[in-house]
Amino acid sequence: MIAPADIVLTPLLPFLILLVAASAALLIDVVQHRAQTGGPLALVGLTFAAVSYLVQFGGARTEPTAVFGLHWVVDVPAVALGLIVLFGAILSVLGGWTRVRRDDLDRPEYHPLLLLATAGGLVMVHAGDFVILLLGLEILSLSVYALAAWRPDRRPSQEAGMKYFLLGAFASAILVYGIALTYGATGTFDYGGVAQALLAGAGPLALAGGALIVVGLGFKVAFAPFHQWAPDVYTGAPTPVTTFMSVVVKAAAFGALLRIVATAWSGALPELEVALAVLVGATLLVGNFGALLQSGVKRLLAYSAVAHAGYLGLAVVAAAHGAFATEALIWYLAAYAAMNAGAFVVTMHVMGDDPDRGDRIEAFEGLGARRPGVAAAMTLFLLSLGGIPPLAGFVGKFLAIQAAVRVDHVALAVVAVLGAVVGLVAYLRPVFAIWFRDGRSSVPALAGPVRAAVVLAAVATVVLGLAPDLAYRWIEGSGPLALVPWTP
Amino acid sequence: MTGPVPTEAWIVLSAALFLIGAVGVLRRRSAILVFLSVELMLNAGNLALVAFARQWADAGLITAMSGQTVVFVVLAVAAAEVAVGLGILVAIFRQRHSTDVDALSEVRL
Repeated sequence: MIAPADIVLTPLLPFLILLVAASAALLIDVVQHRAQTGGPLALVGLTFAAVSYLVQFGGARTEPTAVFGLHWVVDVPAVALGLIVLFGAILSVLGGWTRVRRDDLDRPEYHPLLLLATAGGLVMVHAGDFVILLLGLEILSLSVYALAAWRPDRRPSQEAGMKYFLLGAFASAILVYGIALTYGATGTFDYGGVAQALLAGAGPLALAGGALIVVGLGFKVAFAPFHQWAPDVYTGAPTPVTTFMSVVVKAAAFGALLRIVATAWSGALPELEVALAVLVGATLLVGNFGALLQSGVKRLLAYSAVAHAGYLGLAVVAAAHGAFATEALIWYLAAYAAMNAGAFVVTMHVMGDDPDRGDRIEAFEGLGARRPGVAAAMTLFLLSLGGIPPLAGFVGKFLAIQAAVRVDHVALAVVAVLGAVVGLVAYLRPVFAIWFRDGRSSVPALAGPVRAAVVLAAVATVVLGLAPDLAYRWIEGSGPLALVPWTP
Repeated sequence: MTGPVPTEAWIVLSAALFLIGAVGVLRRRSAILVFLSVELMLNAGNLALVAFARQWADAGLITAMSGQTVVFVVLAVAAAEVAVGLGILVAIFRQRHSTDVDALSEVRL
Protein backbone atom coordinates (compact mmCIF):
# COMPACT_ATOMS: atom_id res chain seq x y z
CA MET A 1 0.00 0.00 0.00
CA ILE A 2 1.28 3.43 -0.87
CA ALA A 3 -0.02 6.26 1.25
CA PRO A 4 0.43 9.84 -0.06
CA ALA A 5 2.95 10.45 2.72
CA ASP A 6 5.06 7.65 1.24
CA ILE A 7 5.64 9.49 -2.00
CA VAL A 8 8.97 11.15 -1.31
CA LEU A 9 11.24 11.82 -4.24
CA THR A 10 14.42 12.94 -2.47
CA PRO A 11 15.67 9.39 -1.72
CA LEU A 12 15.31 8.67 -5.44
CA LEU A 13 17.57 11.57 -6.36
CA PRO A 14 20.68 9.55 -7.37
CA PHE A 15 18.53 7.39 -9.62
CA LEU A 16 16.78 10.40 -11.16
CA ILE A 17 20.07 12.21 -11.76
CA LEU A 18 21.37 9.23 -13.72
CA LEU A 19 18.20 9.13 -15.82
CA VAL A 20 18.48 12.84 -16.59
CA ALA A 21 22.15 12.49 -17.54
CA ALA A 22 21.39 9.52 -19.81
CA SER A 23 18.54 11.36 -21.54
CA ALA A 24 20.65 14.50 -21.92
CA ALA A 25 23.47 12.56 -23.54
CA LEU A 26 21.04 11.02 -26.02
CA LEU A 27 19.40 14.37 -26.81
CA ILE A 28 22.69 16.17 -27.32
CA ASP A 29 23.57 13.66 -29.98
CA VAL A 30 20.33 14.42 -31.81
CA VAL A 31 21.25 18.11 -31.93
CA GLN A 32 24.91 17.63 -32.71
CA HIS A 33 25.84 14.24 -34.07
CA ARG A 34 29.06 12.61 -32.84
CA ALA A 35 29.73 15.38 -30.36
CA GLN A 36 31.35 12.79 -28.06
CA THR A 37 29.95 14.48 -24.99
CA GLY A 38 28.77 11.16 -23.55
CA GLY A 39 31.86 10.51 -21.44
CA PRO A 40 32.07 13.89 -19.68
CA LEU A 41 28.31 13.98 -19.20
CA ALA A 42 28.33 10.48 -17.70
CA LEU A 43 31.05 11.51 -15.28
CA VAL A 44 29.11 14.60 -14.22
CA GLY A 45 25.95 12.57 -13.72
CA LEU A 46 27.68 9.83 -11.73
CA THR A 47 29.48 12.38 -9.56
CA PHE A 48 26.29 14.29 -8.76
CA ALA A 49 24.52 11.03 -7.95
CA ALA A 50 27.38 10.09 -5.61
CA VAL A 51 27.20 13.49 -3.91
CA SER A 52 23.47 13.14 -3.36
CA TYR A 53 24.16 9.76 -1.75
CA LEU A 54 26.79 11.26 0.55
CA VAL A 55 24.22 13.82 1.67
CA GLN A 56 21.75 11.03 2.42
CA PHE A 57 24.24 8.85 4.24
CA GLY A 58 23.89 10.41 7.68
CA GLY A 59 20.11 10.19 7.57
CA ALA A 60 20.17 6.58 6.41
CA ARG A 61 22.48 5.79 9.34
CA THR A 62 20.51 7.39 12.12
CA GLU A 63 17.05 6.89 10.73
CA PRO A 64 16.68 4.19 8.04
CA THR A 65 13.38 4.47 6.21
CA ALA A 66 11.44 2.97 3.36
CA VAL A 67 9.43 5.11 0.96
CA PHE A 68 6.82 4.25 -1.68
CA GLY A 69 5.13 1.76 0.60
CA LEU A 70 8.24 -0.23 1.60
CA HIS A 71 9.28 -0.55 -2.04
CA TRP A 72 12.34 1.71 -1.92
CA VAL A 73 14.47 1.17 1.17
CA VAL A 74 16.92 3.81 2.35
CA ASP A 75 19.29 2.28 4.88
CA VAL A 76 23.06 2.00 5.25
CA PRO A 77 23.48 -1.14 3.10
CA ALA A 78 21.44 0.45 0.30
CA VAL A 79 23.26 3.79 0.35
CA ALA A 80 26.72 2.24 0.83
CA LEU A 81 26.19 -0.30 -1.95
CA GLY A 82 24.73 2.43 -4.14
CA LEU A 83 27.93 4.40 -3.63
CA ILE A 84 30.00 1.34 -4.52
CA VAL A 85 27.94 0.86 -7.70
CA LEU A 86 28.59 4.51 -8.64
CA PHE A 87 32.29 4.18 -7.74
CA GLY A 88 32.59 1.16 -10.05
CA ALA A 89 30.79 3.01 -12.83
CA ILE A 90 33.02 6.07 -12.44
CA LEU A 91 36.15 3.89 -12.58
CA SER A 92 34.96 2.15 -15.73
CA VAL A 93 34.06 5.43 -17.48
CA LEU A 94 37.40 7.03 -16.55
CA GLY A 95 39.41 3.89 -17.22
CA GLY A 96 37.83 3.33 -20.62
CA TRP A 97 38.24 6.95 -21.67
CA THR A 98 40.77 6.52 -24.49
CA ARG A 99 40.07 2.86 -25.16
CA VAL A 100 36.43 3.62 -25.90
CA ARG A 101 37.38 6.21 -28.53
CA ARG A 102 40.16 4.22 -30.11
CA ASP A 103 38.18 1.01 -30.45
CA ASP A 104 35.22 2.93 -31.86
CA LEU A 105 32.97 2.01 -28.97
CA ASP A 106 32.03 5.63 -28.46
CA ARG A 107 28.81 5.60 -30.37
CA PRO A 108 26.19 7.97 -28.96
CA GLU A 109 24.33 5.29 -27.01
CA TYR A 110 27.35 3.86 -25.22
CA HIS A 111 27.48 6.13 -22.20
CA PRO A 112 23.69 6.51 -21.85
CA LEU A 113 23.40 2.72 -21.70
CA LEU A 114 26.14 2.65 -19.08
CA LEU A 115 24.22 5.22 -17.03
CA LEU A 116 20.94 3.33 -17.39
CA ALA A 117 22.61 0.11 -16.29
CA THR A 118 24.00 1.92 -13.25
CA ALA A 119 20.53 3.28 -12.49
CA GLY A 120 19.18 -0.27 -12.66
CA GLY A 121 21.87 -1.33 -10.20
CA LEU A 122 20.72 1.39 -7.79
CA VAL A 123 17.12 0.13 -8.04
CA MET A 124 18.32 -3.37 -7.14
CA VAL A 125 20.15 -2.33 -3.98
CA HIS A 126 17.20 -0.22 -2.80
CA ALA A 127 14.45 -2.69 -3.68
CA GLY A 128 12.25 -3.74 -0.78
CA ASP A 129 10.03 -5.83 -2.97
CA PHE A 130 10.55 -8.69 -5.43
CA VAL A 131 8.87 -6.83 -8.27
CA ILE A 132 11.07 -3.75 -7.87
CA LEU A 133 14.04 -6.10 -7.73
CA LEU A 134 12.96 -7.68 -11.02
CA LEU A 135 12.58 -4.26 -12.64
CA GLY A 136 15.99 -3.11 -11.45
CA LEU A 137 17.57 -6.35 -12.61
CA GLU A 138 16.07 -5.95 -16.07
CA ILE A 139 17.04 -2.28 -16.40
CA LEU A 140 20.57 -3.30 -15.51
CA SER A 141 20.74 -6.49 -17.57
CA LEU A 142 19.14 -5.26 -20.79
CA SER A 143 21.62 -2.39 -20.98
CA VAL A 144 24.56 -4.66 -20.31
CA TYR A 145 23.45 -7.25 -22.90
CA ALA A 146 23.62 -4.53 -25.54
CA LEU A 147 26.97 -3.27 -24.24
CA ALA A 148 28.50 -6.76 -24.28
CA ALA A 149 27.62 -7.06 -27.97
CA TRP A 150 28.86 -3.53 -28.65
CA ARG A 151 31.32 -4.42 -31.41
CA PRO A 152 29.23 -6.10 -34.11
CA ASP A 153 32.31 -6.45 -36.32
CA ARG A 154 34.10 -8.67 -33.81
CA ARG A 155 33.03 -12.24 -33.29
CA PRO A 156 34.01 -12.55 -29.62
CA SER A 157 31.93 -9.51 -28.74
CA GLN A 158 28.91 -10.75 -30.70
CA GLU A 159 29.13 -14.12 -29.10
CA ALA A 160 29.60 -12.68 -25.65
CA GLY A 161 26.48 -10.57 -26.18
CA MET A 162 24.43 -13.47 -27.43
CA LYS A 163 25.58 -15.85 -24.71
CA TYR A 164 25.07 -13.29 -21.95
CA PHE A 165 21.67 -12.41 -23.30
CA LEU A 166 20.38 -15.98 -23.66
CA LEU A 167 21.63 -17.09 -20.25
CA GLY A 168 20.56 -13.82 -18.63
CA ALA A 169 17.04 -14.14 -20.05
CA PHE A 170 16.97 -17.77 -18.87
CA ALA A 171 17.99 -16.62 -15.39
CA SER A 172 15.34 -13.88 -15.37
CA ALA A 173 12.66 -16.39 -16.33
CA ILE A 174 13.75 -18.65 -13.46
CA LEU A 175 13.66 -15.67 -11.11
CA VAL A 176 10.16 -14.72 -12.29
CA TYR A 177 8.89 -18.23 -11.63
CA GLY A 178 10.53 -18.22 -8.22
CA ILE A 179 8.84 -14.93 -7.41
CA ALA A 180 5.50 -16.34 -8.60
CA LEU A 181 5.84 -19.37 -6.32
CA THR A 182 6.84 -17.16 -3.40
CA TYR A 183 3.72 -15.10 -4.04
CA GLY A 184 1.69 -18.29 -4.09
CA ALA A 185 3.10 -19.32 -0.73
CA THR A 186 2.84 -15.94 1.00
CA GLY A 187 0.33 -13.79 -0.90
CA THR A 188 2.65 -10.81 -1.13
CA PHE A 189 5.70 -9.52 -2.96
CA ASP A 190 7.29 -7.24 -0.39
CA TYR A 191 10.12 -8.60 1.72
CA GLY A 192 8.45 -7.65 4.99
CA GLY A 193 5.22 -9.45 4.14
CA VAL A 194 7.08 -12.49 2.85
CA ALA A 195 9.10 -12.66 6.07
CA GLN A 196 5.94 -12.43 8.18
CA ALA A 197 4.22 -15.19 6.24
CA LEU A 198 7.30 -17.45 6.20
CA LEU A 199 7.86 -17.14 9.94
CA ALA A 200 4.25 -18.21 10.46
CA GLY A 201 4.99 -21.37 8.49
CA ALA A 202 6.99 -22.18 5.38
CA GLY A 203 5.81 -25.00 3.12
CA PRO A 204 7.37 -26.71 0.11
CA LEU A 205 5.97 -24.01 -2.21
CA ALA A 206 7.96 -21.29 -0.44
CA LEU A 207 11.04 -23.49 -0.51
CA ALA A 208 10.73 -24.16 -4.24
CA GLY A 209 10.21 -20.45 -4.89
CA GLY A 210 13.23 -19.55 -2.79
CA ALA A 211 15.39 -22.14 -4.54
CA LEU A 212 14.45 -20.74 -7.96
CA ILE A 213 15.22 -17.20 -6.77
CA VAL A 214 18.65 -18.38 -5.59
CA VAL A 215 19.29 -19.98 -8.98
CA GLY A 216 18.11 -16.90 -10.87
CA LEU A 217 20.31 -14.53 -8.90
CA GLY A 218 23.07 -17.17 -8.79
CA PHE A 219 23.41 -16.80 -12.56
CA LYS A 220 23.85 -13.05 -12.22
CA VAL A 221 26.51 -13.21 -9.49
CA ALA A 222 28.15 -16.26 -11.16
CA PHE A 223 27.86 -18.84 -8.42
CA ALA A 224 29.14 -22.24 -9.56
CA PRO A 225 27.67 -24.22 -11.32
CA PHE A 226 25.94 -21.24 -12.95
CA HIS A 227 29.22 -19.48 -13.69
CA GLN A 228 30.02 -20.95 -17.10
CA TRP A 229 29.01 -17.85 -19.00
CA ALA A 230 31.34 -15.60 -17.01
CA PRO A 231 34.76 -16.47 -18.52
CA ASP A 232 33.46 -16.29 -22.10
CA VAL A 233 31.45 -13.13 -21.65
CA TYR A 234 34.19 -11.37 -19.67
CA THR A 235 36.74 -12.26 -22.34
CA GLY A 236 34.55 -11.57 -25.36
CA ALA A 237 32.98 -8.29 -24.29
CA PRO A 238 34.96 -5.07 -24.93
CA THR A 239 37.22 -4.64 -21.88
CA PRO A 240 35.70 -1.30 -20.74
CA VAL A 241 32.35 -3.10 -20.63
CA THR A 242 33.89 -6.06 -18.79
CA THR A 243 35.23 -3.65 -16.18
CA PHE A 244 31.74 -2.29 -15.66
CA MET A 245 30.15 -5.72 -15.65
CA SER A 246 32.53 -7.27 -13.18
CA VAL A 247 32.04 -4.51 -10.61
CA VAL A 248 28.62 -2.91 -11.01
CA VAL A 249 26.56 -6.00 -11.86
CA LYS A 250 28.19 -7.94 -9.05
CA ALA A 251 27.68 -5.22 -6.42
CA ALA A 252 24.04 -4.73 -7.38
CA ALA A 253 23.19 -8.43 -7.48
CA PHE A 254 24.88 -9.12 -4.15
CA GLY A 255 23.13 -6.14 -2.59
CA ALA A 256 19.80 -7.61 -3.68
CA LEU A 257 20.71 -11.11 -2.52
CA LEU A 258 21.82 -9.82 0.88
CA ARG A 259 18.55 -8.02 1.43
CA ILE A 260 16.48 -11.02 0.39
CA VAL A 261 18.38 -13.45 2.62
CA ALA A 262 18.42 -11.09 5.60
CA THR A 263 14.94 -9.57 5.48
CA ALA A 264 12.64 -11.74 3.34
CA TRP A 265 13.77 -15.21 4.35
CA SER A 266 15.33 -14.13 7.64
CA GLY A 267 16.22 -17.66 8.67
CA ALA A 268 12.77 -19.12 7.98
CA LEU A 269 14.09 -21.36 5.20
CA PRO A 270 17.06 -23.23 6.73
CA GLU A 271 17.21 -25.71 3.83
CA LEU A 272 17.94 -22.84 1.46
CA GLU A 273 20.81 -21.67 3.58
CA VAL A 274 22.36 -25.12 3.35
CA ALA A 275 21.92 -25.06 -0.43
CA LEU A 276 23.43 -21.58 -0.59
CA ALA A 277 26.39 -22.73 1.51
CA VAL A 278 27.00 -25.65 -0.88
CA LEU A 279 26.90 -23.28 -3.87
CA VAL A 280 29.33 -20.92 -2.18
CA GLY A 281 31.74 -23.75 -1.38
CA ALA A 282 31.62 -24.97 -5.00
CA THR A 283 32.12 -21.41 -6.24
CA LEU A 284 35.21 -20.94 -4.09
CA LEU A 285 36.77 -24.12 -5.44
CA VAL A 286 35.80 -23.65 -9.09
CA GLY A 287 36.84 -19.99 -9.15
CA ASN A 288 40.23 -20.43 -7.55
CA PHE A 289 41.23 -23.64 -9.32
CA GLY A 290 39.86 -22.29 -12.60
CA ALA A 291 41.99 -19.16 -12.23
CA LEU A 292 45.04 -21.37 -11.86
CA LEU A 293 44.50 -22.96 -15.27
CA GLN A 294 44.10 -19.83 -17.39
CA SER A 295 46.60 -18.52 -19.89
CA GLY A 296 44.93 -15.18 -20.51
CA VAL A 297 44.70 -12.26 -18.13
CA LYS A 298 41.07 -11.45 -18.92
CA ARG A 299 40.10 -15.07 -18.39
CA LEU A 300 42.17 -15.17 -15.21
CA LEU A 301 40.33 -12.12 -13.94
CA ALA A 302 37.02 -13.69 -14.98
CA TYR A 303 37.68 -16.78 -12.87
CA SER A 304 38.92 -14.49 -10.14
CA ALA A 305 35.54 -12.74 -10.29
CA VAL A 306 33.88 -16.14 -9.80
CA ALA A 307 36.13 -16.86 -6.82
CA HIS A 308 35.32 -13.47 -5.30
CA ALA A 309 31.62 -14.25 -5.72
CA GLY A 310 32.40 -17.15 -3.39
CA TYR A 311 33.92 -14.93 -0.71
CA LEU A 312 31.02 -12.50 -1.03
CA GLY A 313 28.73 -15.50 -0.75
CA LEU A 314 30.23 -16.30 2.66
CA ALA A 315 28.84 -13.02 3.92
CA VAL A 316 25.44 -13.69 2.33
CA VAL A 317 25.22 -17.15 3.93
CA ALA A 318 25.87 -15.54 7.30
CA ALA A 319 23.48 -12.66 6.69
CA ALA A 320 20.34 -14.26 8.07
CA HIS A 321 21.82 -14.90 11.50
CA GLY A 322 24.95 -13.02 12.25
CA ALA A 323 25.72 -9.44 12.83
CA PHE A 324 28.85 -8.36 10.93
CA ALA A 325 27.76 -10.15 7.74
CA THR A 326 26.33 -6.99 6.18
CA GLU A 327 29.43 -5.01 7.05
CA ALA A 328 31.62 -7.76 5.63
CA LEU A 329 29.69 -7.75 2.37
CA ILE A 330 29.76 -3.96 1.98
CA TRP A 331 33.44 -3.83 2.86
CA TYR A 332 34.33 -6.64 0.49
CA LEU A 333 32.43 -5.08 -2.39
CA ALA A 334 34.15 -1.72 -1.84
CA ALA A 335 37.57 -3.37 -1.87
CA TYR A 336 36.60 -5.55 -4.82
CA ALA A 337 35.33 -2.57 -6.82
CA ALA A 338 38.65 -0.75 -6.40
CA MET A 339 41.07 -3.61 -7.01
CA ASN A 340 39.13 -5.41 -9.73
CA ALA A 341 38.26 -2.29 -11.74
CA GLY A 342 41.90 -1.22 -11.38
CA ALA A 343 43.16 -4.55 -12.71
CA PHE A 344 40.79 -4.45 -15.68
CA VAL A 345 41.68 -0.84 -16.51
CA VAL A 346 45.40 -1.66 -16.62
CA THR A 347 44.68 -4.82 -18.63
CA MET A 348 42.64 -2.99 -21.26
CA HIS A 349 45.51 -0.59 -21.91
CA VAL A 350 48.27 -3.21 -21.86
CA MET A 351 46.33 -5.27 -24.41
CA GLY A 352 47.27 -2.56 -26.87
CA ASP A 353 45.65 -1.30 -30.00
CA ASP A 354 44.72 -4.65 -31.38
CA PRO A 355 42.38 -6.46 -29.02
CA ASP A 356 42.14 -9.30 -31.52
CA ARG A 357 45.73 -10.16 -30.78
CA GLY A 358 44.29 -12.25 -28.03
CA ASP A 359 44.24 -12.37 -24.33
CA ARG A 360 47.60 -13.68 -23.15
CA ILE A 361 49.73 -13.23 -20.08
CA GLU A 362 52.71 -12.66 -22.42
CA ALA A 363 51.30 -9.20 -23.17
CA PHE A 364 52.47 -8.22 -19.68
CA GLU A 365 56.05 -9.42 -20.04
CA GLY A 366 58.56 -6.67 -19.52
CA LEU A 367 55.97 -4.17 -18.33
CA GLY A 368 57.97 -3.62 -15.12
CA ALA A 369 60.98 -2.32 -17.03
CA ARG A 370 59.05 -0.17 -19.49
CA ARG A 371 56.32 1.37 -17.36
CA PRO A 372 57.18 0.86 -13.69
CA GLY A 373 54.29 3.00 -12.49
CA VAL A 374 51.62 1.04 -14.35
CA ALA A 375 53.37 -2.20 -13.45
CA ALA A 376 53.42 -1.29 -9.76
CA ALA A 377 49.71 -0.45 -9.82
CA MET A 378 48.86 -3.72 -11.55
CA THR A 379 50.96 -5.64 -9.04
CA LEU A 380 49.13 -3.90 -6.24
CA PHE A 381 45.73 -4.87 -7.69
CA LEU A 382 46.73 -8.48 -8.30
CA LEU A 383 48.23 -8.93 -4.84
CA SER A 384 45.16 -7.35 -3.28
CA LEU A 385 42.90 -9.69 -5.29
CA GLY A 386 45.05 -12.54 -4.01
CA GLY A 387 44.52 -11.38 -0.44
CA ILE A 388 48.03 -10.29 0.56
CA PRO A 389 48.07 -8.13 3.69
CA PRO A 390 48.01 -5.20 4.23
CA LEU A 391 45.94 -4.51 1.08
CA ALA A 392 42.18 -4.10 0.90
CA GLY A 393 41.52 -7.60 -0.43
CA PHE A 394 43.05 -9.15 2.64
CA VAL A 395 40.80 -7.23 5.03
CA GLY A 396 37.79 -8.16 2.89
CA LYS A 397 38.61 -11.85 2.96
CA PHE A 398 39.26 -11.67 6.68
CA LEU A 399 35.88 -10.04 7.38
CA ALA A 400 33.98 -12.45 5.11
CA ILE A 401 35.59 -15.55 6.61
CA GLN A 402 35.02 -14.18 10.09
CA ALA A 403 31.32 -13.64 9.29
CA ALA A 404 31.04 -17.28 8.20
CA VAL A 405 32.83 -18.58 11.30
CA ARG A 406 30.56 -16.58 13.58
CA VAL A 407 27.54 -18.50 12.31
CA ASP A 408 29.39 -21.83 12.61
CA HIS A 409 30.13 -22.41 8.94
CA VAL A 410 33.63 -23.57 9.84
CA ALA A 411 33.92 -26.04 6.95
CA LEU A 412 33.06 -23.27 4.52
CA ALA A 413 35.68 -21.03 6.11
CA VAL A 414 38.31 -23.74 5.68
CA VAL A 415 37.40 -24.10 1.99
CA ALA A 416 37.68 -20.32 1.66
CA VAL A 417 41.16 -20.22 3.18
CA LEU A 418 42.37 -23.13 1.03
CA GLY A 419 40.87 -21.49 -2.04
CA ALA A 420 42.66 -18.25 -1.22
CA VAL A 421 46.00 -20.06 -1.16
CA VAL A 422 45.35 -21.69 -4.55
CA GLY A 423 44.09 -18.41 -5.97
CA LEU A 424 47.18 -16.57 -4.82
CA VAL A 425 49.37 -18.77 -7.02
CA ALA A 426 47.21 -17.82 -10.02
CA TYR A 427 47.62 -14.09 -9.33
CA LEU A 428 51.38 -14.43 -8.94
CA ARG A 429 51.81 -15.63 -12.53
CA PRO A 430 51.08 -12.26 -14.19
CA VAL A 431 53.08 -10.52 -11.43
CA PHE A 432 56.02 -12.75 -12.33
CA ALA A 433 55.56 -11.97 -16.03
CA ILE A 434 55.50 -8.23 -15.31
CA TRP A 435 58.73 -8.10 -13.32
CA PHE A 436 60.89 -11.09 -14.15
CA ARG A 437 60.42 -11.65 -17.87
CA ASP A 438 61.73 -9.69 -20.78
CA GLY A 439 59.19 -8.94 -23.41
CA ARG A 440 57.91 -6.50 -25.90
CA SER A 441 55.13 -5.12 -23.79
CA SER A 442 54.57 -1.70 -25.31
CA VAL A 443 52.15 0.46 -23.44
CA PRO A 444 51.69 4.05 -24.52
CA ALA A 445 51.58 6.65 -21.76
CA LEU A 446 48.20 6.60 -20.11
CA ALA A 447 45.93 9.56 -20.76
CA GLY A 448 44.90 11.79 -17.86
CA PRO A 449 41.48 10.27 -17.09
CA VAL A 450 42.85 6.73 -17.31
CA ARG A 451 45.68 7.63 -14.99
CA ALA A 452 43.13 9.15 -12.63
CA ALA A 453 41.18 5.89 -12.59
CA VAL A 454 44.28 3.81 -11.89
CA VAL A 455 45.45 6.16 -9.14
CA LEU A 456 41.98 6.32 -7.60
CA ALA A 457 41.70 2.53 -7.55
CA ALA A 458 45.24 2.08 -6.21
CA VAL A 459 44.77 4.65 -3.45
CA ALA A 460 41.49 3.03 -2.43
CA THR A 461 43.13 -0.41 -2.41
CA VAL A 462 45.95 0.76 -0.16
CA VAL A 463 43.99 3.06 2.15
CA LEU A 464 41.18 0.55 2.72
CA GLY A 465 43.83 -2.03 3.55
CA LEU A 466 46.06 0.07 5.80
CA ALA A 467 43.33 1.90 7.68
CA PRO A 468 40.26 -0.35 7.56
CA ASP A 469 38.60 1.49 10.42
CA LEU A 470 38.46 4.72 8.45
CA ALA A 471 35.63 3.33 6.35
CA TYR A 472 34.44 0.52 8.62
CA ARG A 473 33.11 2.74 11.37
CA TRP A 474 30.63 4.27 8.94
CA ILE A 475 28.98 0.96 8.24
CA GLU A 476 29.48 -0.72 11.61
CA GLY A 477 26.38 -2.18 13.20
CA SER A 478 24.14 -1.55 10.23
CA GLY A 479 22.05 -4.48 9.05
CA PRO A 480 19.40 -4.16 6.39
CA LEU A 481 16.29 -2.41 7.65
CA ALA A 482 13.70 -4.91 8.87
CA LEU A 483 10.55 -4.12 6.93
CA VAL A 484 7.25 -4.25 8.76
CA PRO A 485 4.35 -4.53 6.33
CA TRP A 486 1.37 -2.27 6.57
CA THR A 487 -1.74 -4.00 7.84
CA PRO A 488 -5.28 -2.72 7.29
CA MET B 1 -17.68 -31.20 -13.86
CA THR B 2 -18.77 -27.98 -12.24
CA GLY B 3 -17.09 -25.14 -10.41
CA PRO B 4 -13.86 -23.35 -11.23
CA VAL B 5 -10.67 -25.22 -12.05
CA PRO B 6 -8.73 -25.65 -8.79
CA THR B 7 -5.51 -23.67 -8.29
CA GLU B 8 -3.45 -26.85 -8.08
CA ALA B 9 -4.37 -27.77 -11.65
CA TRP B 10 -3.22 -24.39 -12.93
CA ILE B 11 0.03 -24.68 -11.03
CA VAL B 12 0.69 -28.15 -12.41
CA LEU B 13 0.07 -26.79 -15.91
CA SER B 14 2.37 -23.82 -15.35
CA ALA B 15 5.09 -26.03 -13.85
CA ALA B 16 4.85 -28.27 -16.93
CA LEU B 17 5.19 -25.23 -19.22
CA PHE B 18 8.14 -24.01 -17.17
CA LEU B 19 9.89 -27.35 -17.41
CA ILE B 20 9.24 -27.65 -21.15
CA GLY B 21 10.75 -24.19 -21.55
CA ALA B 22 13.77 -25.05 -19.40
CA VAL B 23 14.41 -28.26 -21.33
CA GLY B 24 14.07 -26.28 -24.54
CA VAL B 25 16.69 -23.76 -23.42
CA LEU B 26 19.12 -26.53 -22.59
CA ARG B 27 18.46 -28.72 -25.64
CA ARG B 28 17.71 -26.38 -28.55
CA ARG B 29 20.53 -25.26 -30.81
CA SER B 30 18.96 -22.33 -32.59
CA ALA B 31 19.17 -19.09 -30.64
CA ILE B 32 15.66 -18.17 -31.79
CA LEU B 33 14.21 -21.36 -30.38
CA VAL B 34 16.18 -20.97 -27.14
CA PHE B 35 14.69 -17.54 -26.84
CA LEU B 36 11.23 -18.89 -27.59
CA SER B 37 11.70 -21.38 -24.75
CA VAL B 38 12.60 -18.53 -22.40
CA GLU B 39 9.35 -16.80 -23.36
CA LEU B 40 7.50 -20.01 -22.53
CA MET B 41 9.10 -19.99 -19.07
CA LEU B 42 8.14 -16.35 -18.50
CA ASN B 43 4.55 -17.08 -19.45
CA ALA B 44 4.51 -20.09 -17.14
CA GLY B 45 5.35 -17.59 -14.42
CA ASN B 46 2.50 -15.36 -15.56
CA LEU B 47 0.04 -18.23 -15.46
CA ALA B 48 1.13 -19.12 -11.93
CA LEU B 49 0.79 -15.48 -10.85
CA VAL B 50 -2.77 -15.20 -12.17
CA ALA B 51 -3.80 -18.51 -10.62
CA PHE B 52 -2.35 -17.58 -7.24
CA ALA B 53 -3.94 -14.12 -7.43
CA ARG B 54 -7.35 -15.71 -7.79
CA GLN B 55 -6.64 -18.09 -4.93
CA TRP B 56 -5.60 -15.24 -2.62
CA ALA B 57 -8.57 -13.14 -3.68
CA ASP B 58 -10.88 -16.04 -2.78
CA ALA B 59 -9.09 -16.22 0.56
CA GLY B 60 -10.04 -12.57 1.10
CA LEU B 61 -6.56 -11.11 0.97
CA ILE B 62 -6.72 -7.39 0.32
CA THR B 63 -3.47 -7.25 -1.66
CA ALA B 64 -4.37 -10.19 -3.91
CA MET B 65 -4.73 -8.01 -7.00
CA SER B 66 -1.01 -7.27 -6.93
CA GLY B 67 -0.46 -10.71 -8.44
CA GLN B 68 -2.42 -9.72 -11.52
CA THR B 69 -0.68 -6.36 -11.87
CA VAL B 70 2.72 -8.03 -11.69
CA VAL B 71 1.75 -10.03 -14.78
CA PHE B 72 1.75 -6.75 -16.71
CA VAL B 73 5.19 -5.93 -15.38
CA VAL B 74 6.45 -9.32 -16.50
CA LEU B 75 4.87 -8.82 -19.93
CA ALA B 76 6.66 -5.49 -20.27
CA VAL B 77 9.93 -7.09 -19.20
CA ALA B 78 9.46 -9.86 -21.77
CA ALA B 79 8.74 -7.31 -24.50
CA ALA B 80 11.89 -5.35 -23.64
CA GLU B 81 13.90 -8.56 -23.72
CA VAL B 82 12.55 -9.35 -27.18
CA ALA B 83 13.59 -5.91 -28.42
CA VAL B 84 17.16 -6.15 -27.14
CA GLY B 85 17.59 -9.86 -27.79
CA LEU B 86 16.36 -9.87 -31.36
CA GLY B 87 18.52 -6.81 -32.01
CA ILE B 88 21.61 -8.74 -30.93
CA LEU B 89 20.51 -11.81 -32.91
CA VAL B 90 19.97 -9.78 -36.08
CA ALA B 91 23.38 -8.15 -35.72
CA ILE B 92 24.98 -11.58 -35.42
CA PHE B 93 22.97 -13.07 -38.24
CA ARG B 94 24.13 -10.31 -40.58
CA GLN B 95 27.71 -11.32 -39.91
CA ARG B 96 27.52 -15.07 -40.12
CA HIS B 97 24.10 -16.06 -41.52
CA SER B 98 23.44 -18.54 -38.74
CA THR B 99 21.83 -18.48 -35.32
CA ASP B 100 23.20 -21.83 -34.24
CA VAL B 101 24.29 -21.56 -30.61
CA ASP B 102 26.75 -24.46 -30.88
CA ALA B 103 28.55 -22.65 -33.69
CA LEU B 104 29.88 -20.19 -31.10
CA SER B 105 33.28 -21.72 -31.56
CA GLU B 106 35.36 -18.92 -30.11
CA VAL B 107 33.49 -19.16 -26.87
CA ARG B 108 34.94 -22.01 -24.85
CA LEU B 109 33.71 -23.46 -21.61
